[in-house]
Amino acid sequence: MFTEAHKASLQESGYCLIEDVIQPAETADVRRRLVEAAAESERRGIPTFVAGLDPNPSNVRIFNLLDLDPIFIELITHPVALELARHLLTDDFIISNFTANIAMPGSASMVTHSDLAAVLPEPWHSPWSLNVIWCLDDVTGENGGTLFLPGSHRVERLQDLPPDMAERMVPFEARAGSIVAMDGRLWHTSGANRTQDQERALLFGYYSRSFIRPQWNFNVGLSEETKAGLSPQLRQWLGLGLTSNMSPLDDLTRSS
Amino acid sequence: MLPPIVDDIEQAKAHIREHGLALLAGQISSAQLERARVATYAAAEDDRRLGREADKFGLDYGDLNVRVWNILNRDPVFREMVQLPVVLELLREVIGWPALLGNISANIAEPGGEGGVLHPDQLFVPKPWPSEPQGMNFAWLLDDFTADNGATEVVPQSHLAADDVNPAILADKAVSVIAPAGTLMVFESRIWHRTGRNLSSQSRAALFGWYTKPIYRPQENWFLSLDDAVVDEASDALLTLLGYKTQGLGLVYGRSPR
Repeated sequence: MFTEAHKASLQESGYCLIEDVIQPAETADVRRRLVEAAAESERRGIPTFVAGLDPNPSNVRIFNLLDLDPIFIELITHPVALELARHLLTDDFIISNFTANIAMPGSASMVTHSDLAAVLPEPWHSPWSLNVIWCLDDVTGENGGTLFLPGSHRVERLQDLPPDMAERMVPFEARAGSIVAMDGRLWHTSGANRTQDQERALLFGYYSRSFIRPQWNFNVGLSEETKAGLSPQLRQWLGLGLTSNMSPLDDLTRSS
Repeated sequence: MLPPIVDDIEQAKAHIREHGLALLAGQISSAQLERARVATYAAAEDDRRLGREADKFGLDYGDLNVRVWNILNRDPVFREMVQLPVVLELLREVIGWPALLGNISANIAEPGGEGGVLHPDQLFVPKPWPSEPQGMNFAWLLDDFTADNGATEVVPQSHLAADDVNPAILADKAVSVIAPAGTLMVFESRIWHRTGRNLSSQSRAALFGWYTKPIYRPQENWFLSLDDAVVDEASDALLTLLGYKTQGLGLVYGRSPR
């Protein structure tokens, strides 16, 4: 399913589209459970609007998916998602975050950014993170498809960003059930939903190299009940163990 | 050549810029020093008695470098030392604030200790490295460091070395930090260093706190290891260093865990 053509697209353009990763019935089921998860999140007193992130409340954000429904644990460890992570990040990857964004009609764009440039000093010379975007609705330029600048994963320093970046941004378009994978260096922003009546739901599985601090604190965010059900491998990917970020030390001592 | 031991923070800042490291006197009271020293040896003895000696640490040769982990749970003096004003001021100067405490341990070089592997601490940062240091090491000497008791060896100005420098060439320039107990040795994350060989008949102890910019993943999981009482009583500065007070990364539901 993750083919040589996808790998070439990731390398040349910084993203790839993988279609039909999940079938329509499963996509509909995940979509239904996401809406339930949003309601559960609200019941827990967690707002679905983040003022610093989005310009208006029409962008519905749902956090901590892994604690809300086991279906999201299945998706974050879906074989295609893991294959993408291993390909781009090597085996030394962790799960940094898993969130959802439902763009309702009228939702507006956030600030253009690359996920790595937002937090790490330049130069950004390697793919250190990956967004696996699950499309739960058909995504178009009209209903809030993510806007991105193809090839911008090669921008190593801020000064190398093209001055006409805003005009060159393009939306991705994908059918429900697809994955769009984006290199963490790719410059992008959420698209505005300019339709009157379409909701556009996306899940963002964010993976990074293990030296980068996770976006989400799973030690605090996951309930004891959820933690108890996790495999040892998943516990490691979520940073629930005693130590982390120690692998370069092993490399050094092996070579000396 | 090592910079001289100073008691002035402004001079220390200049030394860190020029040499990559500074040696500071007069930053803790003799009572704090004695308490930290006693608590360190007591914690090591507790670990031995209870059979919970840590796995061998990857950077140590042999079995005579004793590492004491989970040090913040052991005694309030350690919680004081990791956030002393001198520490916070130098962090702000060199890597900025907020910063994170990545790990902290006491290292006791016992007689016969074979020393350690020469390394810089920001090993996990992929190369080419950014132009600024990404972390800092604050080492509190709990015993006198002498020429033969396992004093830390550093390579002054190695923060300016090329990313792909040959460690063997740097090793020839390594010098022992000879300084009295109570000295604070501060070095930025690109400085190459190692534990020295202890050829004496005495143990020597020091406390090593590793701090980073907030984007890097702490090596110890404070959420798993710290006693609730330690977190409940922590200052805002300590909560920030431990990742309980966060901005941007490490949030839960858009909020800081504390």
